[in-house]
Amino acid sequence: MTAVAPPRNLPESETLLLAKTDFQAFLDQLWQGGYRVIGPTIAQQAIVYDEVRRVEDLPRGWTDEQRGGQYRLKRRDDDAWFGFVVGPHSPKRYFFPPQVAVAQADRTANGWQFSEVPDQEPPYALLGVRACELGAIAVQDRTFINEQYVDPIYRRRRERALIVAVNCTQAASTCFCTSMKTGPRCTKGFDLALTELPDSFTVEVGSDRGEEVLSTLPTIMATPSMLRQAENVRQQAVDQITKRLDTKDIRDLLLGSLEHPRWDEVATRCLSCTNCTMVCPTCFCSSVKEVSDLTGDHVQREREWDTCFNWDFSYMNGGIVRNQIRSRYRQWLTHKLASWIDQFGVSGCVGCGRCITWCPVAIDLTEEVAAIRENPA
Amino acid sequence: MSVPASSAIAENPWLGQSVEIDAITPELPGVATYHLRFRDAELNSRYRFRPGQFNMLYLPGVGEIAISLSAANDISGTWDHTIRVAGNVTRTLAGLGVGGKLALRGPYGTSWPLDECAGADIILVAGGIGLAPLRPAIHAALAQRKRFGPTTLLYGARSPDMLLYRRDYEAWTDRGLNMSATVDRFQPGWSGDVGVVPLLVDRLRPLKPANSVMFLCGPEVMMRYTVRSALERGLRKDQIWVSLERNMQCAVGLCGHCQLGPAFVCKDGPVFRYDRIEPFLNVEGL
Amino acid sequence: MDVESVVYVLSKLRFSERLPGSMLVRIAALAELRGFPAHSVLFRENADNDHLMIVAVGRVALDMQVPGRGEVRIMSLGPGDMLAWSALLGQGRMTTSAVALEDTQVVAIRARNVLQLCESEPEFGYQLMRQVAEALANRLVATRLQLLDLFAETEPFVPQGPD
Repeated sequence: MTAVAPPRNLPESETLLLAKTDFQAFLDQLWQGGYRVIGPTIAQQAIVYDEVRRVEDLPRGWTDEQRGGQYRLKRRDDDAWFGFVVGPHSPKRYFFPPQVAVAQADRTANGWQFSEVPDQEPPYALLGVRACELGAIAVQDRTFINEQYVDPIYRRRRERALIVAVNCTQAASTCFCTSMKTGPRCTKGFDLALTELPDSFTVEVGSDRGEEVLSTLPTIMATPSMLRQAENVRQQAVDQITKRLDTKDIRDLLLGSLEHPRWDEVATRCLSCTNCTMVCPTCFCSSVKEVSDLTGDHVQREREWDTCFNWDFSYMNGGIVRNQIRSRYRQWLTHKLASWIDQFGVSGCVGCGRCITWCPVAIDLTEEVAAIRENPA
Repeated sequence: MSVPASSAIAENPWLGQSVEIDAITPELPGVATYHLRFRDAELNSRYRFRPGQFNMLYLPGVGEIAISLSAANDISGTWDHTIRVAGNVTRTLAGLGVGGKLALRGPYGTSWPLDECAGADIILVAGGIGLAPLRPAIHAALAQRKRFGPTTLLYGARSPDMLLYRRDYEAWTDRGLNMSATVDRFQPGWSGDVGVVPLLVDRLRPLKPANSVMFLCGPEVMMRYTVRSALERGLRKDQIWVSLERNMQCAVGLCGHCQLGPAFVCKDGPVFRYDRIEPFLNVEGL
Repeated sequence: MDVESVVYVLSKLRFSERLPGSMLVRIAALAELRGFPAHSVLFRENADNDHLMIVAVGRVALDMQVPGRGEVRIMSLGPGDMLAWSALLGQGRMTTSAVALEDTQVVAIRARNVLQLCESEPEFGYQLMRQVAEALANRLVATRLQLLDLFAETEPFVPQGPD
């Protein structure tokens, strides 16, 4: 498997080096600059995104073991700060929050008055974003900021965010970013991209904002030997990827197989539990509910994550269109891998493997596609 | 890193405009037409929609529903929405009277392609409350008689007392509309056809299939068999347009609920050219 | 009434679309055109009728007598539609009454003669019966759609929980 091409417009001579001993200063500077720094931390035996104020908050010395239906943390035999892959959280929860007020209405003598609900969140500095997640952000950009409609919350948070990506130095058995051409190398979509070495990080600058953030830090130019070391550890991630998804003509394959018996087969395993949509970094379905105060004169419209696996997601007066698990699984998979291409010009899948890890019955979408491909309808 | 640029109006798609119920016309049991007026008079005079489009009508604290516009009322300056009581929101709406206040977002969606059909024979086919989204197309076609060939309405309802907009039929036929109505269930006094709508397509004469377009709205099963009859009469799939319904919530393609295959019914529809949507329409539970 | 006029009328109907011209001539020889003014009765339910009919012009309603409900109109037919098929397929006893809704003209075909022809010439019989079968199939589909009651008021559906 060949490595992903090095970033364009970023000659290696521009790669900097930041010592680990200066990283706390980096974090402090971000917080002082008004950013809310979000990065990987350990909670409830998983690596999840939360506020990171000190380098000690990072999962130093931990790694994750992932396979279908299984996620475990394990101690490493070194002190690597980012020596793990991806957890159940993704940046989507910051730009497209699980629960947020999208509008409010106040009853006045003349009728209802509608207004925005000011978004109080400070700008995020997302630390530790992986290449697949950069891909997912680019995918969600097409959903939430398009030629017809824009989600103002997404756009505001997205525009103000600083993205500090981290190149993967290992892969999980569930990773298949190479098949989806999103990684493991970070090539675009970041302000800064770090590669971890034993005592330092190489830092690639991806934007003016990234350059500005670095300008007050004691970075030095990365030496050729450092660059080689960085390349070697990044190659580890490439070499460890074993899972593949054959994406050749996948749009026509899936949309031409809507009555395939495989949907019935997967429906005997799928619990319609919705885990996959919750952990997927590109899923965007939502529902809005009305939350009114006791007087009924002030109503907030709260948008929450929803999922096509919910039984009544497709409810119409008269009935539920996707009444069976077979229909719902088919909807999710064909949307993610096929319809998404019609809708947004790219695949909805970035190959992060979360849906495989977090499925309680270990359904692997790469296997499902392979089964359909093997026996075309 | 750059965030994509967009020329979309940078407004929160969830903000509606305040409207008031100017008048209510009872139509059938459980069905009424609400004549809405924007509180902002300037907006009311500026508002436009194309036949086939819909609005999201919002009752704060209760919820929101997608309703097709059934007419632009030039005389009263209101925007007509024909609504059947079917759930919480519609039931609450039915409890408001004249003067009731709610909100409106819209118009949304694709429209009947009248602009592309100059010179064509227009065949409008409706079933039940499906006549509501076609009514603005009837008005538009009759207002520009010379632009089109003969305009025909084939309409079916459950029974004679369930024929929607019955009081409009004479005015329509006086203005040049050819009309046939049929009912599933006969009631004494009815001298029109009895039987399903596709039979009206079977019998439509004269018919110049090469020059015709069909705009179709009604229950999906009815539409499926009407299309079958139309194809047997010589129309092609790209001459037929259907209006579909799905669970519409955001109306802007962001919530995911209304998808049918790759199409968002709220923004790629609700009016679809039949050949484009056919592969997905006939799949059970899609 | 000359056979030519009957052939002419028959040839314009959907029923005849796939029948060879020679067949139409032979059917026409066994048929006649009959006119029914608006509101007149073509035949009554349960009565004997030995002519298969095809509507050429006008509209005909089919009614059935239901004790307690009276005459119930079940369907209306137009040009090209076949009726009184019981004359050909059944015992000749009509299953509905037929009433002209407007001035109507039908092609009335003598069932017994046509059946004899079917028996003696299987090819003729096959072609004719195929048309009849197709007409009945379309009628069946239309009847099923009526049965589905597609415009019935749907009760507001409240999701209770997955099965």
